Amino acid sequence: MSTMAVSIDGKSVTTRLAMRMEDSLQAFAVRAACFIGELDVPYSEEFDGHDFGATHIIAYIGDEPVGTLRVRWFQSFAMPERLAVIQRYRGHGIGQLLIERCRKLAESRGSTMLYAQALPGDVKYWEKQGWRRLVPEETSSGTKRIVAMVRAVDPSKPLPELDAPQAIVLRREAQLDASGLPLGTASN
Amino acid sequence: MTEAKTTAMSNRPVVTIKLATTSDELMQCYMLRAAVFMGEQHCPYWEEFDGNDYTASHLMLYVDGEPAASMRVRWFASFAKLERAIILKRYRSFGLFIPFVDWAREFCRKKGYRKAYLHAQRRLWPIFERMGFHKVDERIFHFSDHEYGAYVCDLAVDEQTMPTVFSDPMVLNRPEDRLDVSGILEASMERGASNPHAEWTERRAN
Repeated sequence: MSTMAVSIDGKSVTTRLAMRMEDSLQAFAVRAACFIGELDVPYSEEFDGHDFGATHIIAYIGDEPVGTLRVRWFQSFAMPERLAVIQRYRGHGIGQLLIERCRKLAESRGSTMLYAQALPGDVKYWEKQGWRRLVPEETSSGTKRIVAMVRAVDPSKPLPELDAPQAIVLRREAQLDASGLPLGTASN
Repeated sequence: MTEAKTTAMSNRPVVTIKLATTSDELMQCYMLRAAVFMGEQHCPYWEEFDGNDYTASHLMLYVDGEPAASMRVRWFASFAKLERAIILKRYRSFGLFIPFVDWAREFCRKKGYRKAYLHAQRRLWPIFERMGFHKVDERIFHFSDHEYGAYVCDLAVDEQTMPTVFSDPMVLNRPEDRLDVSGILEASMERGASNPHAEWTERRAN
């Protein structure tokens, strides 16, 4: 369950945590390629002010960064988000590898629950990966429909009592007053 | 009538071009390049971030404060090399490219460079030729999947104002895209010269 290996054309995919500035830049670059380049997300939405309070996991083929995942830490759960894999490396399970690394990291920190926000169309995929809806049938709320999903960090144990996540407004949690935007953009 | 016009004017997006001077602006520059070169053109990370980013100047163009375009300039002895010029997809075809290159050329000219040099992708040759660039020679070379030609443009440097070793020292200390505006170090002159480390060399010498 915790041993997962992915290789592409005989080259194995490795994951590691961003430790140095260059690592973080690689994580950011992969996200920029996928979210800004492919999906046309504005820079200031993609880089939302949470990047320096989070842990970044990066997937490599050799020394080429090909995928990344950001994990934010809350008192009662860990929140993987901003999952991105460079287009030509998709379909090999790199995303799952990153999520698994996140799960193990959460386990090592004593976290018991993973919480993620999925697009409605992706819910079935996440359910196959062992996630379930936080609220069995969520009533649509807000303008953008996002489905809250949870998963036990240790699948052999039942999910802990669910009380926190739903009450916390995670979507726009902490605009960090006005400085949630990258410094300098306001003055330009 | 006048009012309507004013409204229309104020609704126009504000375009700002500047030298990247903070780590956030540098980050914006790198992310735009990742979006375009890695995301759209499928360039590998290590080809895009080739080791020359920390020997270069980076220019940023903002539309209403949102990072929209960037360009890298490297400084050789006799020419400035413009490279890695990109515009984010959603900001293309608004005529931003030519003013951006013009700003870059003006930046190089004010620094005293007589030549702006670049490698132009073949599809862009007519645009650069219209802007006053001409081919260095007939060589065509290719890298990162594209064919290129080397282009150069002569810049009319102002001998009176270009920075030289005889320029006002405090002018040379100014931020490079604002050589004509008083800089932060000029403000520090108010503090006078207390020479706090005056004895240091002496101590080391003994």
